[in-house]
Amino acid sequence: MSYAYLFKYIIIGDTGVGKSCLLLQFTDKRFQPVHDLTIGVEFGARMITIDGKQIKLQIWDTAGQEAFRSITRSYYRGAAGALLVYDITRRDTFNHLTTWLEDARQHSNSNMVIMLIGNKSDLESRREVKKEEGEAFAREHGLVFMETSAKTAANVEEAFINTAKEIYEKIQEGVFDINNEANGIKIGPQHSTSGGASGAGGAGAAGAAGGGCC
Amino acid sequence: MDFLKSGLKTVLGAPEPGQQPSAAETVERLVDRVNNSTLLEDRRDACRALKAMSRKYRVEVGAQGMETLKQVLELDRADNETINYALDTLNNVMSPSQFEEEEDNPHIPMNIGEQFTEMFIKDHHNIQLVLELLDEYDFRVRLSVVQLLTSLLTNRPKDIQEIILVKPMGVSKMMDLLSDTREVIRNETLLLLIKLTKGNANIQKIVAFENAFDRLFEIVSSEGYSDGGIIVEDCLLLMLNLLKNNSSNIYFFKEGSYIQKMLPMFHAPDESEDAGWSPQKVSNVHCMLQIARTLVSPSNSVQIISCCQKIMKNVGLLDSLCNILMASGVPADILTETINTVGEVVRGDVTNQDFLGNVMAPSNPPRPAIVVLLMSMVNEKQPFSLRCAVLYCFQCYLYHNEMSQAGLVQTLLPSSTDVSSLTSGQLLCGGLFSSDVLSNWFSAVALMHALTENPAQKEQLLRVLLATNIGSSPVSLLHQCTLLLQQTTKLQSKVALLMLLSQWMSYCPPAVSAFLKVPGGVGYLVNQTCSNEHDDNEYLLQGLSAFLLAICIHFNDDSAENYTKDSLKQLLLKRIGMETFTAKLSEVTKHELYNKAAKHPQLRVKMPAEILIDYEFCRLFKVLESVLIQSLIEKKQDESNELNHERSSPESGTLEQYKSLIRQQDARLQELLSQVEGLVQQNQSLQGALNDSLASNSHLKDENTMLKAQLSTAKSLPSNQVQPPSQDNTKLIEYEEKIKQLTAEVTRLDTDLRVSRDSQKLAAEELETLRKDQDDLLVLFADQDLKLNEYKMRLISLGQPVDEDSVEPQQNLT
Repeated sequence: MSYAYLFKYIIIGDTGVGKSCLLLQFTDKRFQPVHDLTIGVEFGARMITIDGKQIKLQIWDTAGQEAFRSITRSYYRGAAGALLVYDITRRDTFNHLTTWLEDARQHSNSNMVIMLIGNKSDLESRREVKKEEGEAFAREHGLVFMETSAKTAANVEEAFINTAKEIYEKIQEGVFDINNEANGIKIGPQHSTSGGASGAGGAGAAGAAGGGCC
Repeated sequence: MDFLKSGLKTVLGAPEPGQQPSAAETVERLVDRVNNSTLLEDRRDACRALKAMSRKYRVEVGAQGMETLKQVLELDRADNETINYALDTLNNVMSPSQFEEEEDNPHIPMNIGEQFTEMFIKDHHNIQLVLELLDEYDFRVRLSVVQLLTSLLTNRPKDIQEIILVKPMGVSKMMDLLSDTREVIRNETLLLLIKLTKGNANIQKIVAFENAFDRLFEIVSSEGYSDGGIIVEDCLLLMLNLLKNNSSNIYFFKEGSYIQKMLPMFHAPDESEDAGWSPQKVSNVHCMLQIARTLVSPSNSVQIISCCQKIMKNVGLLDSLCNILMASGVPADILTETINTVGEVVRGDVTNQDFLGNVMAPSNPPRPAIVVLLMSMVNEKQPFSLRCAVLYCFQCYLYHNEMSQAGLVQTLLPSSTDVSSLTSGQLLCGGLFSSDVLSNWFSAVALMHALTENPAQKEQLLRVLLATNIGSSPVSLLHQCTLLLQQTTKLQSKVALLMLLSQWMSYCPPAVSAFLKVPGGVGYLVNQTCSNEHDDNEYLLQGLSAFLLAICIHFNDDSAENYTKDSLKQLLLKRIGMETFTAKLSEVTKHELYNKAAKHPQLRVKMPAEILIDYEFCRLFKVLESVLIQSLIEKKQDESNELNHERSSPESGTLEQYKSLIRQQDARLQELLSQVEGLVQQNQSLQGALNDSLASNSHLKDENTMLKAQLSTAKSLPSNQVQPPSQDNTKLIEYEEKIKQLTAEVTRLDTDLRVSRDSQKLAAEELETLRKDQDDLLVLFADQDLKLNEYKMRLISLGQPVDEDSVEPQQNLT
């Protein structure tokens, strides 16, 4: 189980938007229609491949409820990536994005990659938030955007992997200080030499093979 | 706070003029100076003086100075020295421990530190102030803050945990201190984090998220692993806090490949170096074993356990543990805990169980490690806790593993008698019948675990024969156990044997049958169950005997002639009674030690006397208790009504039709017959009743005449009895009425019978007439045929051609 890098992610967003289901779909490739309310924070992990390199994702799935907000704030600082999730069938979860984003920007390190996710794209008939609105919000705040369905698994792999790609590119560009583990990035045990220079050109190569690696 | 001040005055007495100023006055003056001085130096001096006084006069300093000191933390932040004095003073005031200086002052309440802490944390902002000071790099300040927070946490752990949890970056800031290059700060931070993480899952998760495991393993490795000092122990204690009852962190620990990093802790000491184990090393290794056990604890989810077990095997951790097990010079408590750990690492994992089964001890001749362990278990001289650990380890070795269960039983079977080597089975049998009561108990329970959920081995074990005395014929193990049960007077042995037999005989009719054939077995159980001693342990014995008796009934295949299912049931109902039986059965779960045992697979006992019930037995009991009661209550099911004669007939439909007709008639006939039978019976009973009443009637008549006679004789006397005859008369009338009714009933039934007989006769007659008619017709037809032939002949003789076919239809018509 050796890896080149380890990235820490957090998943944030209102309660009931499907954060835990996204994680479960990504780590276990299954969907659980009835999910218990997350208490505090839960943990999941999976290995992916980007640019031919094994990358370990450690994902902390936070509770969306207001009562846990102060606890989940403690996780922003040490994360390299965040998935900010809303529910396309519930307008209010989209409206709250600004608050979430402010919170994240305030407590996280400035380089944290944030991916905006409109979940439950399988429920087209009950859609309340247009895809264009999500795109506009992402553009305005400099986020990457994607609509996913934890139920059908549509775009779930891509959401996690694209975030990892973005982080990987930032490492190649030297934006991240990879020796400071407080940024949510760790160099793998066998990767002792400074890992930046070698694959700078091929950062865009996809982890399509990564999907089936575990 | 005023009441405290006034309280102090009464405690210390009012100051007398001309004397030295009292402590309270001095404190008051100092606090005044901190509050009002404009010069920083003055404030600093005053703070220093307050700090100096705070150890001896903490009540005064705390009561008067707390507000002021808080202000210093806020306003004098620029001056590290002042801040430092203020922090130290606060720490002294709220310290959970008693100072030497105040030992001779009896007026200081025991929990004074806690009371001041309560006052201090009422305003959450105060904690925020202290946390912010963590950003200060100055050594003294940082150290003081850490110590102050540790004191606060010691006094009010739950409150402080909740406050810190909601402060942004509260936990993260403390985690940063773990990377402080100054060892003193790092070490104090460890103590702080141990207190901070105790019992709070949310904080534990944040600490783990902040790379705690990486940091801690770095420290442990830099300190030299198990040979390191108390810092290693602190690191391990913190890890233990993070993992205990926190499945999310356990999962993280496993995913983060930290199990591999535990490995160097368990390197067995070289044979050559004979330095022995320092007490610190014992503590360190003990903590590490605790961590390993936390990962594979039976209370975790099955997935986590099995994942961790596989990793532990693959990275060689199990191997290292087994090396410690077999190494020489290992202290007894480490050995005990290692045995427990090995047990939990193999529990329920076939690969790991096999691995343990193949470990050989470096003895001469080499023996399997399991055998060596069992030798310790049945050895009276070994420490009690070690023997318990071996039992637990052995149970784990057998748990959910039919192969290892079969392996154990195999060593007892006659086919595999390899006399030269000692086997685990022989050790257990030896223990079972030894004079040491603990050996009895351990061996019985160990054997019981070889049979858990394994019907095949239950039958195999029945084949085991023991040579008791030279010359006498061998006896079966079950027989011997039953005899021992009747002979022994020791409670623990009795309970152990009852548990073993219960496990053995449940779901195994052959074992039940074998038990029933042992003389005195059933009688013993019945007597035990009926026994009327009043004592918790006696109740338990009665309950266990009742349980085993019920197993004999429920799993009885009626192969023992004297004790079939029904006869045993009758015996139980008659001798004991259903209610007493259920009451006795329920006594088992009321026993204190039963409830203790039911909580966790591992025995958690401190003294040999507490050993009584086994966890697996509790499970068996829970499952079977209601089943057994149910099976005693329900009536014997009707086994008849299962006449399903199914024959596929190739004949035509008409045949089926007739058959069904016959069947209908048959049924009707049956019905009528039974009706007749019923009526006859009714008739008989009525006849009987009639006879009875006639007899009683005549009897009454006699009595009546006698009474009349008496009455007439009494008339001469001044009599007073008149009522009885009249009463008799009414009775007589009643009876006569009844008789009338009965005779009417009889005649009605008679007519009924006659009518049905008549109808039967009528039907027979009809049948007869029909037959007669048919005969007549046949005769007629023969006549006709004759005539027809005659006419045919005549026509032929007259030269008329005759069409043969034309005749046919006529023939067919008949």
